[in-house]
Amino acid sequence: MFDTALTVNDLLFLARGAGMTLLVTAIAVGLGTLMGIVFGVVRYQVGPWWGAPLTFFLDIFRSIPLLIQLVLANAFVTTVLGFRVSGFTVACGVLSLYTAAYCAEIVRGGIEAVPQTVRRAARSLGMSWGQDMTHIVLPLATRVALPSWIGLALGVMKDTSLVFVVQVVELLKSTQILITRLQEPLFLLLICGLFYFLISFPIARFGGYLEKKWLAND
Amino acid sequence: MKRTFVMAGALALAALTMPAKADKLDDIIASGTLRCAVVLDFPPMGFRDENNQPVGFDVDYCRDLAKALGVEAEIVETTFPERIPALMSGRVDVAVASTSDTLERAKTVGFTIPYYAFENAVVANEKSGIESWEDMKGKTIGATAGTYEAIWIEGRLKEWGAGEFRPYQNQADVFLALSQGQIDATVSTVEVAEANVKSGKFPGIRIVDKAPMVPDYVGLITLREEYGLINYMNLFINQQVRTGRYQELYRKWVGDGEPADLTVKGVYR
Repeated sequence: MFDTALTVNDLLFLARGAGMTLLVTAIAVGLGTLMGIVFGVVRYQVGPWWGAPLTFFLDIFRSIPLLIQLVLANAFVTTVLGFRVSGFTVACGVLSLYTAAYCAEIVRGGIEAVPQTVRRAARSLGMSWGQDMTHIVLPLATRVALPSWIGLALGVMKDTSLVFVVQVVELLKSTQILITRLQEPLFLLLICGLFYFLISFPIARFGGYLEKKWLAND
Repeated sequence: MKRTFVMAGALALAALTMPAKADKLDDIIASGTLRCAVVLDFPPMGFRDENNQPVGFDVDYCRDLAKALGVEAEIVETTFPERIPALMSGRVDVAVASTSDTLERAKTVGFTIPYYAFENAVVANEKSGIESWEDMKGKTIGATAGTYEAIWIEGRLKEWGAGEFRPYQNQADVFLALSQGQIDATVSTVEVAEANVKSGKFPGIRIVDKAPMVPDYVGLITLREEYGLINYMNLFINQQVRTGRYQELYRKWVGDGEPADLTVKGVYR
């Protein structure tokens, strides 16, 4: 018979870790998407030349490994600037910018996918730029961008497993703590994987559902 | 007029760029939190209880230090190799992590006086008649092959010219052999010995004496230049011993014996 030292208490501990993973993901994806929309629209609007500094700034977050970003950002904020902020704040900040960098590209791609002719038609009907953006570009671009955005959200959720370096005890770190104590690595990693699946699967399915629903309206 | 304006501007700039330099001791007190690096896979110094909360000698020691400073303690889990990087990158203020005070490490970080010392104990089978470490002469002694204590006891037996040494693959095998009477005694760190005797898995063994080997002294560490903090912690360690808290923590986490003497005879500090 299979024997384990894992208690209900430990499962609750893992669940709390999963809760932290969800919280960090929610904050990072929420803030990141908002910033990403702003950055994406700005980049599209000002063109490649004027958008170069912003592009460079965002490329930093896309090209440096997240682990290094977290460690350096934490050291910079706490040691160089001398602010006493929690690891949670640093983790959310870095992950939000990281998400924003990817989201900006998704948003720009979405806007570019809207045919110029459609937009010109909108403007010739007397719509302002704002009306064109909200009533024409937003619905069309969202349909194009949604699959990539869902992919990004799921990616960020799994990337949160790196925030342990700034003392945030999320799902993977909770699992490692239990592994150290109970010495049952394979069993615990299996449970950890199950937890990740349980929180990612609904998001993936929700994306699929939205896609199908919107397709019917087209 | 213009020159004073420029001068004032330069001064303002200098004031802005210069960080407000209070030392770490001030910073800790001002921030209200003491962040300690503790290794949590090293019982009984640092580990986690059944609620997955950090406990152990080092954890309590950090809490005591925080209490003395009048701040909250924050336990930051690190591995052994991560202790010093965590300190250098500013993730923690001090490391209460059983750090051996080597001269090599002292080139990078600042050590306090020792706050703990890992000693070695002689554990004997009750039927062997061994009462002190010298009684091991002429007996069959086992230890984990290749360890510091194994090399030491093998050397002693050779010196005495009486007795037999038996190397084993791991610590559990040694204690099993000792419990079964295949060997008369073994030498291991006090912490391991206490834990094995307490576990009840090895009946018929007991700790008889401490082995006269140089103990592994461990100190608290912080940044090399933080003299204020090092000074404070030195006095803190002194007070821990003086008030009996050191012995109390030893009894709580290690065992009933006497904790190691933290002074070295014949030299200062």
